[in-house]
Amino acid sequence: MDDGRMGTTPQASMRRSRWSLFSRRAVLLLATFALGSLLTPCFADEGPAPDPSGTATGDKTSTTDAAGNGFVVAAPTDPNAPDYARKKKDSDDFQAQMAKEPLAAKLADHVGHLRVATNFSWTLLTGYLVLFMQAGFALLTCGLVRKKNAGHLMMLNFAAYVFAFLAYYAVGYAFQFGAIAINAAPANLGGTPTLNHFLLGSGQWGFLGGKGFFLSGPGYDAGSLCLTLFEVVFMETAGYIIVGAICERINFWSFLLCEIFIGGFLYPIFGCWVWGGGWLSQIGSTLNLGHGYVDFAGSTVVHAVGGFAAMALSVVLGPRLGKYGPDGKVKVFPAHNLVYVVTGTFILLFGWMGFNPGSTLGASDLRISVVAVNTNLAAVAGSAAALLLWYLIFGKPDITMACNGMLAGLVAITAPCAFVSPNSAVVIGTLAGVLVCLGVLFNDRVIKVDDPCGAISVHGYCGFLGAICVGLFADGTYGAGWNGVGTSSYLGHAGQGVTGLFHGDSRQFLCQLLGASLCAVWAFGGTFGVFWIVNKIKSMRVSPDVELEGLDIPEFGLKGYPEDATVTMEA
Amino acid sequence: MKRIDAVIRQGSLDEVRERLTNIGVEGLTLTEVIGFGRQKGHTEYYRGGEYKVDFHPKLLLTIVADEGQVEEILEAIIGGARTGNIGDGKIFVTPVDEVVRIRTGEIGKAAV
Repeated sequence: MDDGRMGTTPQASMRRSRWSLFSRRAVLLLATFALGSLLTPCFADEGPAPDPSGTATGDKTSTTDAAGNGFVVAAPTDPNAPDYARKKKDSDDFQAQMAKEPLAAKLADHVGHLRVATNFSWTLLTGYLVLFMQAGFALLTCGLVRKKNAGHLMMLNFAAYVFAFLAYYAVGYAFQFGAIAINAAPANLGGTPTLNHFLLGSGQWGFLGGKGFFLSGPGYDAGSLCLTLFEVVFMETAGYIIVGAICERINFWSFLLCEIFIGGFLYPIFGCWVWGGGWLSQIGSTLNLGHGYVDFAGSTVVHAVGGFAAMALSVVLGPRLGKYGPDGKVKVFPAHNLVYVVTGTFILLFGWMGFNPGSTLGASDLRISVVAVNTNLAAVAGSAAALLLWYLIFGKPDITMACNGMLAGLVAITAPCAFVSPNSAVVIGTLAGVLVCLGVLFNDRVIKVDDPCGAISVHGYCGFLGAICVGLFADGTYGAGWNGVGTSSYLGHAGQGVTGLFHGDSRQFLCQLLGASLCAVWAFGGTFGVFWIVNKIKSMRVSPDVELEGLDIPEFGLKGYPEDATVTMEA
Repeated sequence: MKRIDAVIRQGSLDEVRERLTNIGVEGLTLTEVIGFGRQKGHTEYYRGGEYKVDFHPKLLLTIVADEGQVEEILEAIIGGARTGNIGDGKIFVTPVDEVVRIRTGEIGKAAV
């Protein structure tokens, strides 16, 4: 046997082919990293210096009063503007005051730094809450599927976090926020001035950010990394949503490809258009469409992207074996652990207290309390609506639908939470609770798209609804100057913020409809396009035998719940 | 020697056990089972899909006893498990070829 040659047994040839596959993948990975580190310096040398130690972020220019008036009165730049003379006088007065009271100017630097520090801690802490939602979603989805796949579900959720994060670190963050300083600089975090270049597009028509690859150079900055932490956990939310629709039949390696695709490309590109200062956020000024496309914390940027990508993947994969009979009759696969489902939902609710209020990127923005309450109101309204509707239709309240209803309300309020009143939040939650019920029935009974955890209905359909609700219910009490529109006045009122159809702004509603539709097309189309091809090259599904046995042992060699007898056999 | 397999309601266990202890039965094996007989199932809904709940959880008691004791064991089980409603269960009595106590190697009646 040991004569120096490679073995000729089937096991040996399997080892060989696995090794050559592994070495091919390793070479590809190394090449990507080499290319990345070569590209990084290209984007590192222009523009302001990054501040990795955090000792140069936050000064008198960072501080404002409650109304948002800056401490520093900047000199006006356009001599032809109508209020130039008044602004010049204000600026000159300020300079004179600073000269008379230099100590006050110094104090303002400290105050500005402190404000940014407050906002850093707010943003990071709310980010950690969103991170904890990973645990909530893992429990929720695991509880909703069959016991034989418990390990598989947990591993999908776990690996989703790991691999999507790495893709986002490498290219995702740079694609999404590499140009944010141009049109949407986060003043609450010190402005992140180093992120100032579009790879594709420019000015108000940006399509892809181009600074901060591998979080190096311009990305290795205290303010930028604060934003990174917050935004990566949002990306992760979109990343794990797909698990809810593709579980119980997708193989692990295909799943990793999905996560890398979402974290590196699908999510950040749309995210650039809306949050990174990209074109969708600017169509308020470029195309006179209200305040441009508005999505406060991500009903579409996060949830609809995840939900419609989930839908595309579910269509590519096909339904679980036996789910739909030859006559279309739905076969039921009941949840195996409702304790996980409810606990998971509560953890998600708790995490959402970071998701929505955190999206101000600062505790200095006192709208955070309104956001927090609106979020909870929509959650409970959604759950109550779903529960009552289900009771009316089926005679018993379904626990899983009550949970899905709460999540639907949360998803739908995520875009409008900062712009609407508590009463509107209740209405929005109720609408979402009804929609999610109809969505679940629609997917199973009409279009036969198998969605084990309701991810498509909760995140796709209700995410779309959330963006529309901004265009309906926004009441103008918040968001003055959003996306650079109407900084001094809007619709004839000073300080008027984002406004919806019910409060007089039809163009905002149109803008929301367009943006949300584009999101659905982008997420579904992009995902379907890529993975229909991948599936043709090599099937993304496990074999029917494996699917019937359960994926725990065949995919991972371990059971989610090992039976006592088989575990203690060796003892 | 005879083997007695009794399928009873979960709620009957305490009463049956007490009666068995009173007549001197010293060992039994208990399994959680599901099954159905004349006690029919019903239709439920889960997320809009219909499914039938046919099986009912029951307990399976297994006792191996000397032939002479079978009569009073059956009485004890029936006394503890009968409610008069459909679903009370069934008892099966079968012959046993051999019984062995593993610790001592005893066989036959001494091992029961």
